[in-house]
Amino acid sequence: MKNTKNLLFILFFACLIIYPFVTEGRWLAVGITFLIFSIVALSEDIVLGRAGMFDMGHAIYFGMGAYICGILNYHYGLPIFATIPFAIIIPALIGICLAAPIVHLRGDYLLVTTLGLNMVFLQVLENDAFGLTGGPNGIFGIDSPSIFGFQLMSQTSIYYMAFIFFIITLLIIKNLEHGKAGRAFHYLSQDPIASQSIGINVRFYRILAFALGAGIAGAAGVLFAIQYGAISPEAFTFKESVLFFAIVLVGGPSSIPGILIGTFVMFVLPEVFRQFDTARYLVFGLAMIFAMVLRPNGILPFKFGKFPKFVREK
Amino acid sequence: MDIFFQQIINGLTIGSLYALIALGYTMVYGILKLINFAHGDLVALSAFIGMTVFAKILGGDASLFAVIALFLITMAVIAMAGVALDKAAYKPLRNAPRLSAVVSALGAGLVIQNGIMLTWGPNVNFFPGDLVPNIVWNIGGTVVTFIQMLILVLSLILMIALYLFINKTKMGTAIRASAIDKDASRLMGINVDRVISLVFIIGSALGAVGGIFIGMHYRGITFEMGWQYGLYAFVAAIMGGIGNIPGAMLGGILLGLFNALIAGYVSSTWTDAFTFLLLILIIIFRPTGILGERVAEKV
Repeated sequence: MKNTKNLLFILFFACLIIYPFVTEGRWLAVGITFLIFSIVALSEDIVLGRAGMFDMGHAIYFGMGAYICGILNYHYGLPIFATIPFAIIIPALIGICLAAPIVHLRGDYLLVTTLGLNMVFLQVLENDAFGLTGGPNGIFGIDSPSIFGFQLMSQTSIYYMAFIFFIITLLIIKNLEHGKAGRAFHYLSQDPIASQSIGINVRFYRILAFALGAGIAGAAGVLFAIQYGAISPEAFTFKESVLFFAIVLVGGPSSIPGILIGTFVMFVLPEVFRQFDTARYLVFGLAMIFAMVLRPNGILPFKFGKFPKFVREK
Repeated sequence: MDIFFQQIINGLTIGSLYALIALGYTMVYGILKLINFAHGDLVALSAFIGMTVFAKILGGDASLFAVIALFLITMAVIAMAGVALDKAAYKPLRNAPRLSAVVSALGAGLVIQNGIMLTWGPNVNFFPGDLVPNIVWNIGGTVVTFIQMLILVLSLILMIALYLFINKTKMGTAIRASAIDKDASRLMGINVDRVISLVFIIGSALGAVGGIFIGMHYRGITFEMGWQYGLYAFVAAIMGGIGNIPGAMLGGILLGLFNALIAGYVSSTWTDAFTFLLLILIIIFRPTGILGERVAEKV
């Protein structure tokens, strides 16, 4: 069982590595976006799936990363690679500031608050705050990244860059799963009061989950900015947040393969059906209902260790 | 002062629209603890159905009979759509994790929204403008239209009727009981499934009235407008205290006034941001809303 799982993962990575050699044009762009959205969905999962907080505003941090990259590059002329640390640290810090007053809220209230934050964020972008965000048109003309004098212009090189980010994200999450923080997230998502009583600092770990999620989403934002060379507010509306939210829940919270399948179902499949164009979101909505009705815990839910026999046969 | 009174009138009008729509959110939340994200799209659908019913079935000429028939037919259709939505998308998920039903609701919203787009097209449609006489009163510089008065009066009547229904009748008592404790209500002989259907019928029918009013007041209707109105109405429901019926009415009116005053005095491009900042502040300092009761967290 363990071996087949590893084999499938190796097969999956092998496919991802050879993917740019067998496709081009639009499908390569779909591949890049798949990687970027997977990273964002995985970071949303840290907050939503693992720490169990209903976050419906994750597009904020994704957008923030993209805009920080765009602003620093366009207005201040920083090279793309130099913007990456800022695009990770600033969203993480803002994630901490935004989360600190709201993490104690229960379930739906947190969902609505984060959704509201997303609306505020969007208006800040659209109204050209501080003359930096470029208003409704966004920022156009972001450089392509360069390393040792080589311009990484082609889609293929951006694909591999996204691939490296993707692997790093998976490593972080894999470590988190077995580490102290990941276990704390799991306890407090199951029962915050009980976890407090065994000495877990619930508030600290909840804010940590937001910071981690925001940082990773910010990094994905940089990739998004360089993929298109332009950014505009409509890529970070609360509908995008809803998409990430749905990816995690349709795929299976806390489950890495589940989220990858979720991204595939929610993002790549609609692209495949693009020829049906107008009807595709109708089908997409129906698919969301069916997926939830048939598999309420997600397509590939995370399997926790089994309880001993005497507990199960009560 | 002219602007002030004008914005108060505008705010009251849009506020009563929000209140009508918010009632659908708050009643469903009260009983199922589910944010029915598809409700806003049902409201949008009602405007389109009203338009088509008027043009195709009622022959397109405005008379008192036609207007009443328009309201009743649309309310009936949307009420049935609401019940069908519950049976198809929410009922199978009653015992599932709570977020599954939320995703199902988001999916249902997409289905309705794109169903509207496929049926009526992606462009702006125009609601018939001659349903009611276009009378405009000018009271000392403040302009009030007949449609605005109609919206205010009819919404008020509907809200009073709902309040009486919920508080004074046996069915209303059943709704309140099921909202507090479903299992205990079942033991008392209340058919909770029927109560849930009833809630969807009432909520959707009120939403349908809101949708027709939106069509009459603004004329232009688009398939996407459900998101916008739904979201604002939902904010209104939370401001008043979600699950609380008078709260939704109060929240709707207050939100309408707040929006209109911000748009009139501060800036119309920042209304969304101010509205949601207000919402966040309310949630942080008084999470149960203006009229909601404080409940201790159970261990």
